Amino acid sequence: MQLLKKLKKASPGWFLLTVGIIILLLIPNLNIIINLFGEAGENWEHVRNYLLVNYFQNSLILVLATGLLAAFLGAGLAWVIAAYNFPGRDFLSWGLILPLAIPPYIGAYVYQGMFSYTGPLQTFLRNKFQLRLSQQYFDFMNIRGAIFIYTIFLFPYVFLMTRAFLSKQSASLLESSRLLGKSDNTIFFKIILPLSRGAVVAGSSLVMMEVLNDYGVVKYFGISTFTTAIFKSWFGMGDLPTSVRLAVMAMLVIFVVLFIEKLLRGGRKYSYSTSNIRPVSRRKLEGSRKVLAQLFTYGVFFFGFLLPTVQLLYWSFLSRGGGLMETLHFAFTSFLTGGGAAVLILTGAVIIATTARMSSNFVSNLLARITILGYSIPGAVIAVGVLLFMLQLDGVLSFLQTGFGIEANVVLSSTLVMLIFAYAVRFMGIAFNSVNSGYEKIGESYFEASRTLGKGVTETFFKIDLPMLKPALMSGFLLVFIEIMKELPLTMILRPFNFDTLATKAFEYASDEMIYRAADLSLVLIFFSAAAIYLITHHRRRKNNAVRN
Amino acid sequence: MQLEIKNLTFAYNKKEANIVDNFNLEVKKGEVVALVGASGSGKSTVLRLTAGLEIPDSGKISIAGQTVAGDHKFRAAEKREVGMVFQDYALFPHLSVEKNIAFGIDHLSKDRRKARVKELLKLVNLEGFEKRYPHQLSGGQQQRIALARTLAPGPKLLLLDEPFSNLDAELKDKIRGELNQIIKEIGVTTILVSHDREDAEFMQAREIIMN
Repeated sequence: MQLLKKLKKASPGWFLLTVGIIILLLIPNLNIIINLFGEAGENWEHVRNYLLVNYFQNSLILVLATGLLAAFLGAGLAWVIAAYNFPGRDFLSWGLILPLAIPPYIGAYVYQGMFSYTGPLQTFLRNKFQLRLSQQYFDFMNIRGAIFIYTIFLFPYVFLMTRAFLSKQSASLLESSRLLGKSDNTIFFKIILPLSRGAVVAGSSLVMMEVLNDYGVVKYFGISTFTTAIFKSWFGMGDLPTSVRLAVMAMLVIFVVLFIEKLLRGGRKYSYSTSNIRPVSRRKLEGSRKVLAQLFTYGVFFFGFLLPTVQLLYWSFLSRGGGLMETLHFAFTSFLTGGGAAVLILTGAVIIATTARMSSNFVSNLLARITILGYSIPGAVIAVGVLLFMLQLDGVLSFLQTGFGIEANVVLSSTLVMLIFAYAVRFMGIAFNSVNSGYEKIGESYFEASRTLGKGVTETFFKIDLPMLKPALMSGFLLVFIEIMKELPLTMILRPFNFDTLATKAFEYASDEMIYRAADLSLVLIFFSAAAIYLITHHRRRKNNAVRN
Repeated sequence: MQLEIKNLTFAYNKKEANIVDNFNLEVKKGEVVALVGASGSGKSTVLRLTAGLEIPDSGKISIAGQTVAGDHKFRAAEKREVGMVFQDYALFPHLSVEKNIAFGIDHLSKDRRKARVKELLKLVNLEGFEKRYPHQLSGGQQQRIALARTLAPGPKLLLLDEPFSNLDAELKDKIRGELNQIIKEIGVTTILVSHDREDAEFMQAREIIMN
């Protein structure tokens, strides 16, 4: 009876399927840790003595500085959007998410191109004002430049989480503070920031994970971090054991980040003493404060989305559609890979989330944690783990094939299977979160009603859960899809020979200073991502309106 | 006995005290019983245990002479033939009224299914509502459809979880009367849960106070 209670209503089929998926997700990460105890590679001694400190330093500076700046920028913007009304506010409430549509590595080469000696800014200053400033003012390719790029393109994570949190806050809280004679600035620092600390920290830790995951920006700017080092030791030197050791070090940095997050979030959890929560009513801004709010919000939108996009459009115009067929080809590949992988990942996530829902709290928390683990581990690290796993599998396969006398020579490493599996390890958490929050919104009573009407778990799933989950599945699909479209490190390491996505090809062109060619590919990528963001936010808004009516 | 509960004990969480502690109940066929008590008294939990939505820690539940929980047996909710009307009605929003009611009787042939839906809509006084969707119904109508859906498969037991809590005072009197009439008409064994003793009196139910 007790064991039954722990598994609660989970049927054995669902549970076994889930265990299978979870083991597959865990193996690559466990593999890395096990391999740590193997023999060190020939380059490890050198890396440890001369380079490791540098990797740690650079990674930590990038992660912490970006985390902090993005936290302030995101929280400030969320507060302005949540608490005030001014012309353009409705547009900006989703427009400020758009910087996420531009992958940081594309933003990096656009900004570098704009500020370079032959770029539009310096050309303009030279030709119009005969200004020849020292190149050091325009040097973007350093740690400061990287921090700027990360902050301006990744802050929406903090913005999104904080805004969602603030929109659920009670209006009476704000109004009573105002009635108590507090200025809006005091309210922001004394009430809003402490209250939303959890949301800000959560968003900011997402930003930090993205920074650690990033390969494109640091590679392009020539900054050595763990990710670039893993690439170098694997691609440049063919030294897998050294990559494994570096991957473990990178995981250490992740644990530092997670620890800081836990520390900052604190054990405190504020909750309301009333269930009657009226959403915050926005105050209309006039005069100079209106202008200030607009300058701030539009300014961020300008640098985070408009300026780079316009620059890309201009470059694309200069190239006059030279690589149109090529762009279409890569768009098609990206679309197919991203779409197919997203469907597979979502299927896995639905199975896990359905089992989690039917299990006790302990089991479902465990499932959630393992599933989300992959998203906090940098792509390059996962790539190493997946590669090790696939090489082992190939060993087993070839043993079986020779054993049974089959001459099929099936291999998994360096195939699309390997790449898609790696996407699943990394992005399963995103899909799971979408499905899970969908289930939370639906609640349990529909499921239970169906059970008492004589339907089993599986029949209920297909007849009730699945149709009701549709909006959550839609947004989960879009989220995973754009992540895969933009993905760089995993794809670079694990892709089959001669296989390119929009992301890898754009990055390759940009690294080879073929900016015009890169522009077309980048624009297609940004267009897809922006469209997905628009669909997700506006779908949600429509639904909210429907509920209110 | 249509329902027999013996020494039923249950806790949602091992660290918490038992919410249902050594509970006993016997209900005769055709009887209407009301479990009345404050929130947290475990009355809704007894319903959920009876329906098979929770697994008891110990004790025994028998329905129509068959053990459904206890003695190392546990019969899943879908195999108990127990109908339950949920507090929030839980009408499937993506299905029409007709399909909601027919949900539990899809083993019947199409014609018989249609006839049964019609019969139930007549019973709850909502004839002609087949093609509507739950969001097009008022609160009182939703509840009657939920009742019709629950009664459709002909359950051995009807469980009503706080059936009047979502209705305003005026509607409440009317619905209580109607519900009482329907239950008496078909003679189904019923257990209802309420925090209000007045509900029990109105439904002419045997009252069991829980605390």
